[in-house]
Amino acid sequence: MRKNYKFIALLLLISICSSILIACGDKKNKNSANGPHLNFGVYNYSDSLDPATNTNSSWCGVRYGVTEGLFKFSDEVIAEPNIADTYTVSEDYKVWTLHIREGVKFSNGNDVTPTAVKDSIERLYNQTDASRGGTGNSNPDGYLIYETITADDDEGTVTITCTSPTSNIPGILAYPYFSIIDVSVADKEIVGTGPYKVAKINNGVSIELLSNEYYWNGEVPYDSVTIMFIDDSSTKAMALKSGDIDIAENITTASDLRTLSEDENYYVSIAPGVRTGNSYINYEGVLGNETLRQAIMMALDKDTMCDITVAGMYTSGISVLPSSLSYNYDKLTNPYEFNKQAAIELLDDAGIVDTDGDGWREIDGKNIDINSVTFTSRNLNEFAEAVALQLAEIGIKVTVNIRDYDTALALLNAGEFDLWTCNTLTVGVGDPQDYLGNWYSANSQNYGYYSSEKYDELYEELMLELDNDKRKDIITQLQQILINDAATIVYGYYNSSMISRAEKITGADIATIDYYWLTSKIKPIGE
Amino acid sequence: MINKKLQFIIFLIFVLSIVTVAILAPYIATHDPNEAVLTEATKAPSKEHFFGTDRMGRDLFSRVIYGTRTSLYSTLILVLSILILGGGLGIIAGYAGGATDTVIMRFADMMVSFPGMALAIAIAGVMGPSITNAVISITMVSWTKYARLARSLVLKIKHEDYIKAAFMSGTKTYNILLRYMLPSVLPTLIITAATDMGGMMLELAGFSFLGLGAQSTSIEWGYMLNEGRAYIESASWLMIYPGLAIFITVVAFNLLGDSLRDILDPQNDDQILKSKRKRVLQTERKQVKRESLA
Repeated sequence: MRKNYKFIALLLLISICSSILIACGDKKNKNSANGPHLNFGVYNYSDSLDPATNTNSSWCGVRYGVTEGLFKFSDEVIAEPNIADTYTVSEDYKVWTLHIREGVKFSNGNDVTPTAVKDSIERLYNQTDASRGGTGNSNPDGYLIYETITADDDEGTVTITCTSPTSNIPGILAYPYFSIIDVSVADKEIVGTGPYKVAKINNGVSIELLSNEYYWNGEVPYDSVTIMFIDDSSTKAMALKSGDIDIAENITTASDLRTLSEDENYYVSIAPGVRTGNSYINYEGVLGNETLRQAIMMALDKDTMCDITVAGMYTSGISVLPSSLSYNYDKLTNPYEFNKQAAIELLDDAGIVDTDGDGWREIDGKNIDINSVTFTSRNLNEFAEAVALQLAEIGIKVTVNIRDYDTALALLNAGEFDLWTCNTLTVGVGDPQDYLGNWYSANSQNYGYYSSEKYDELYEELMLELDNDKRKDIITQLQQILINDAATIVYGYYNSSMISRAEKITGADIATIDYYWLTSKIKPIGE
Repeated sequence: MINKKLQFIIFLIFVLSIVTVAILAPYIATHDPNEAVLTEATKAPSKEHFFGTDRMGRDLFSRVIYGTRTSLYSTLILVLSILILGGGLGIIAGYAGGATDTVIMRFADMMVSFPGMALAIAIAGVMGPSITNAVISITMVSWTKYARLARSLVLKIKHEDYIKAAFMSGTKTYNILLRYMLPSVLPTLIITAATDMGGMMLELAGFSFLGLGAQSTSIEWGYMLNEGRAYIESASWLMIYPGLAIFITVVAFNLLGDSLRDILDPQNDDQILKSKRKRVLQTERKQVKRESLA
């Protein structure tokens, strides 16, 4: 009898254990679709895909192929027609009439009519306007302020009347804020016009996507996609190697990227960067001293930092605008080429010397201690550390403060920094005007309190200028002023990357402007 | 007992040799640990660089050697501050009793309910991450163990006759605490501290690994591990050598702590005495039996 009890207990235990093991088993086969499936490893910038929630959520919607804009950037960063197929503009660049492509549907089958487009844009502004009860943090006003927006469903057009002449509406409308969603269901789910639609969001873990059967721009290659959130770059690389994911965006650890590049089992796509890695300089601190800034510029070996320290993740450069863009980078001159000895002499001649023998130079009897704030993203901490070590060689002390992004941003806004290292998209709407505004003294986002009459004058000219050639000329001059004033430390231009398993996937190329990750061009081999 | 003493001496030499490495770091290191040659980044171990170079082109061997100083120094400061704060408050709580005891011990209960890591993140957020702030946050969470220990030991002897005699003869409270309470509490606290050294060292390294402790400007093993983590496949020496350094030092301190406990622990002595008495009693009984049988 007792033996029987023992046997039953053992059986029970075994069945419990097997149930647990079965429950914890492979979930890969549980997708409702039976066709090709893709596992995509990404950094989790946002769980929301609503363009009104914040910048990251608007980007994620486009990145995961769920939402699309009226226009789309080409690899040359030119806004090309997408949901809008043609447009006309009035002579004063105030009234833009966009024709909405016929036959485009949302992924729930609803038609994308001019009224639906108008509603989507109006919702974005309503949702981000606190005075109208909006709770979103996106900032469409920063790009476009319109007087009216009207829709003519018979003509198939949407007419936007801007408050001031606006030359770059296609670029602005290509920005992810302005991606078109179905407003009729927006309070329940985000439905766009992209190749994929959301099936399920597991907050912080993954997003399950299914193919959009109504997709207007060709066949959708995968029946289902799992967007897997993997924040750590090395983990992402390991997941790719183990086969847990088929494709990953931006592996930022140089050593992992190098290993994958050398392995023919992986296809590594790298795009010339339109993101600039730079340090804002706080002019209200010790770096208000021009000689000190110039010496710092001369003491930094940016080529080595970009090629070796971050192993080619950046292409080194001198200007705030990337060399790959058509803003006359070749015509710019750098008066502060790398020359450590010259930097030391410059400091010595200016009387910025070490008088108390502690190894660190002083200004006005006080030790220089540069507060360098940054966060761990896209190799920024490595730049900050390399700067500290190189400046130590010329007797300038740098204290590196690596914080989380939010804390670093708070320190930036409070002006509690000498150097603030970051990586910024320079042509968010296909034009660098917005980015160059970071050094315009009347701009509240002038992070380093830089002020130059000449720069301000030219920038104001740029804001009014509509002729592209003249704009380019002004932008070239603005870049040169920043270089001459040693206004910011530019390290280089970040090269975005996309890595895929070569035997399984084709067409996994990273776009120059990193709004587009999962596109219908990414296909399984043999399709 | 002789074996235990010998064991203790061996482990003491082991720990002392680590301390010597820390003291003589400038003579042992082959390079300036802060000298960065960016072009020489992540070079494999060689005759020039015994442990290779890190991602900033600094000599890893010299950094591991210098790291001994940071780790030992910060751990010692940490353990001492916990010992002094926890021990002091525990003795006061035990001796004073009443409201003082309640306030101190309830405060200790409150602190113990804080997860150490959460507190460290909060402190790092407010004061900025640094090894000093890591020491402060670990101290804030860990002192309670020592306070409870000291309190219970004080309560044990508080009502002994010699304390009463001292009190009645007009000895000042300060003197009672210093001359009677402290000496009876100290051995146990020191043993606990010695056994905690290894654990505390690991905890500090863990904080630095997570970016909450030491920062890039200091030379610390935990932070070195953090730096090397991304290179685990391509430049594994960046993790192996600092990891080994932590392992060896923690093992050394744990062994020394255990050995010290074996030698000094009064409870252990009691047990030895008891077992001896038991053995003597057993042999006596056997003898009595034999005699009665005879």
